[in-house]
Amino acid sequence: MEALGFRDDAADRTAAIAQNSLQLIAFSIGEQTYGVEITTVREIRAWNGATPLPNTREFVRGVINLRGTIVPIFDLRARFGDGQTSPTKNHVVVVLSVGDKWVGILVDAVSDILTVSKDDIHNVPEGNSVDTELLNGIVTHDSRMVGLIDLHAVVSGAKADA
Amino acid sequence: MSDLDDFKATYFDECSELLTELEEQFAAISDGERTPDRLNAVFRAIHSIKGGAGAFGFSALVGFAHAYETLLDHVRDGRIDLSDEVSKLCVRANDIVADFVAAAREGQALASDYGQEEKQRFDALCSGDDDGGAPIDDFDIEFVPVMVNLGGDAPAESDSFEAPPLAGATGQWEIHFAPHSELYARANDPLLLFRELATLGELTLRAVLSDVPPLGDFEPHGVYCSWEISLVAPATIEAKILEVFEFVEGNCDLSVVYLGAEALEAAEAAPVAEAAEEVAFPSFGDLAASIAPTPRPEPVIRTEPMTLRATPAPEPTAAHPEAETERRNGVQSIRVDLDKVDRVVNMVGELVITQSMLTQQMDETLRARYQELVRGLEVLAQTTRGLQDSVMAIRAQPVKSVFSRMPRLARELAQKTGKKIRLETIGENTEIDKTVIEQLSDPLTHMIRNSADHGIESPEKRIANGKPDTGVIRLSAEQAGGNILIIVEDDGAGINREKVLQVARDRGVIAPEAQLTDEQIDQLIFAPGFSTADAVSDISGRGVGMDVVLSNIKKIGGSVHVRSWTGRGTRMTLRLPLTLAVLDVMLVKVATSPYVIPLSSIVETIQCSRADFGRAPSGAKVLQVRGEYVQVIDLAIRFELPSDAHENNRFVVLCEAEGSVKVALIVDDIIGQQQVVIKSLEENFERIEGIAGGTILGDGNVALIVDVQGLKSMHLEHRNAA
Repeated sequence: MEALGFRDDAADRTAAIAQNSLQLIAFSIGEQTYGVEITTVREIRAWNGATPLPNTREFVRGVINLRGTIVPIFDLRARFGDGQTSPTKNHVVVVLSVGDKWVGILVDAVSDILTVSKDDIHNVPEGNSVDTELLNGIVTHDSRMVGLIDLHAVVSGAKADA
Repeated sequence: MSDLDDFKATYFDECSELLTELEEQFAAISDGERTPDRLNAVFRAIHSIKGGAGAFGFSALVGFAHAYETLLDHVRDGRIDLSDEVSKLCVRANDIVADFVAAAREGQALASDYGQEEKQRFDALCSGDDDGGAPIDDFDIEFVPVMVNLGGDAPAESDSFEAPPLAGATGQWEIHFAPHSELYARANDPLLLFRELATLGELTLRAVLSDVPPLGDFEPHGVYCSWEISLVAPATIEAKILEVFEFVEGNCDLSVVYLGAEALEAAEAAPVAEAAEEVAFPSFGDLAASIAPTPRPEPVIRTEPMTLRATPAPEPTAAHPEAETERRNGVQSIRVDLDKVDRVVNMVGELVITQSMLTQQMDETLRARYQELVRGLEVLAQTTRGLQDSVMAIRAQPVKSVFSRMPRLARELAQKTGKKIRLETIGENTEIDKTVIEQLSDPLTHMIRNSADHGIESPEKRIANGKPDTGVIRLSAEQAGGNILIIVEDDGAGINREKVLQVARDRGVIAPEAQLTDEQIDQLIFAPGFSTADAVSDISGRGVGMDVVLSNIKKIGGSVHVRSWTGRGTRMTLRLPLTLAVLDVMLVKVATSPYVIPLSSIVETIQCSRADFGRAPSGAKVLQVRGEYVQVIDLAIRFELPSDAHENNRFVVLCEAEGSVKVALIVDDIIGQQQVVIKSLEENFERIEGIAGGTILGDGNVALIVDVQGLKSMHLEHRNAA
């Protein structure tokens, strides 16, 4: 029974580590680095234009055809209030699943895959309302500050009159 | 979802099919086609519903279905004449069964006495009409339960219940029960049967395990256990014992023998007449042989309630399993989840787009150089088209599934209004896309309600007007080109145009001074909130209804047309697309973005330079076309897109919204016509006013589908708000 107990203990510890850490996909917008949990990422593709959607807010870039499904693209820079991105072929769309929907976010580049500990996640400092609205927290990795995107917040309020 | 839930879902699917069949069969029977086949089909349907209900423990449904089944059996035997009265009772019973099924599906409880009145009438009819010794009728083919080795059929036994041979005596019953593997495959549990038996008397159960093979030969799905059951109960309960096993008949070997009161004292009771079993199951001989190794003493049968055994096993008993097999083999269909079909439809849509994209890539130089490739592409195009047609055919279903719900509605309406109504259906085998069919049920219900409530007159009035007292509502379906026409017509009074006009003016649906043609007046009944009923009745008059018809039909890309002849009747025609998946559209450009407008809503296109624009008193832009002033919506402005096209190079697309109201859309360019596959925007985003969805063009880009009706209402709101 002792051996068994030891094994359980070890399994618990591994689980604890797994539970306590988070893998992120990090991407950049200008000088800023943001991250989303890697499990939400469906695919990463180059920007190839989008059909604009009428009567939506400026951060909705339009819709693209993702293998037969229509997926909306959100301009993350515009979402943070820094004006629309002028996308080139080098810009990247990260396709994510949010709830049961698939959405794309337009970013400048995908930089890294990070593993961070949940303990290292800090609350977003009060002050900037856009940041507190759109970020779940801030995590430090290699002395870089990474903002954790709250995807549900990013995709809400897309309609012009909303 | 658990297995049981799966089984339940399948059961309810089957029930709805069976209920549809019931409606059909009774429609034919009431048309005078009283053939044994039809009665048997009805019997079978009720029996199957009952069987499943028993397995899931829907006891109210079982009770009612059982009583109904007994009645049907008597009718089938000719013991009860299928008079008008009985036939009406049956139709009512079908409705009640449908209600029970619906209640079970929704998990709701009906009033405890629901259907009791009818049930008592069944019982009265059944007991009144037979004398206990009814002859076995010649068209008693299908449902002689196979398991009975006594030579009689189960319902005949129930007669012996009415006139018991040995009333009151208690004795020993010996039952041998050997389930087949199908019994378990159909989710029956012998334990439940035994518990049920235990309610009949003192039960002693012995499992026969002698057939259990060594572990090496053991098949996981094999059935190796049978039971010998002795039950101390009155001599009169044979019918009840058989009833317990009714749901598993055909899936087990069963013998029930009454040993009499003496056997109680006898040291050992002896079950089962093997020989009799073989007489009763000629085609199950091998199965009977397979259980033969079970060591059993010679049968000792001491009392004579077995008089019925003298009756030779009716010939059809043997025919039954064959008929069953034939039926099973005859149905060459499988049940497939609609999601799976839709996935195929989607992928075929993609394939069509890819194929057309490939074809577009072939320019003249390539054509000359790679002739093999060109030929290959041509074959690909053909195959893709064939594939698309075939996939669409999978989704197509006969309109029967929705038509068959209507006779019941008509009956209920006739009852409520006190009118005499006959519903005729034509062309119910016409096939339409399943999604369209699902959207049809509500509109048809409203239309038939409307016909029954407003169209058909009371019998007295009809006679006074020289019409037969029974009003006819005719429901028909036919294919006309790429459309399906569903027509609901009645021979009632027609639309009261004066009243309609008056009400429309009173309610502000139309301007007080507007002059309308008869046809335009007729169309007014589709206006939201419109009702001419003097009083809100159970059936209609709340002003919802006909506008629901119009909006539902519009939603699936169809149109509604109504035509009325005063004193002679009304005809409403629904024109529906064959399929929802493909839409004929005009491809246009607004600023730099592609948009598509459904061809079905376009009346004409005009170059802006030739259009006759004007200003309404409010300052809004209007278009004058053939003496009519039409509201103008500039899509570039509406959609807030920067357009740099010169005013004169732009185009007016004149569209027709609900109720024949026209609206002029201004676009920057017209590119052409094509067929597109509709994609949902809401799937990953949200609904946008004025946009009905998206579609993917040959170049892989997304184009948005303009929602003409939505744009129009949106425009009004904006104006009202301003």
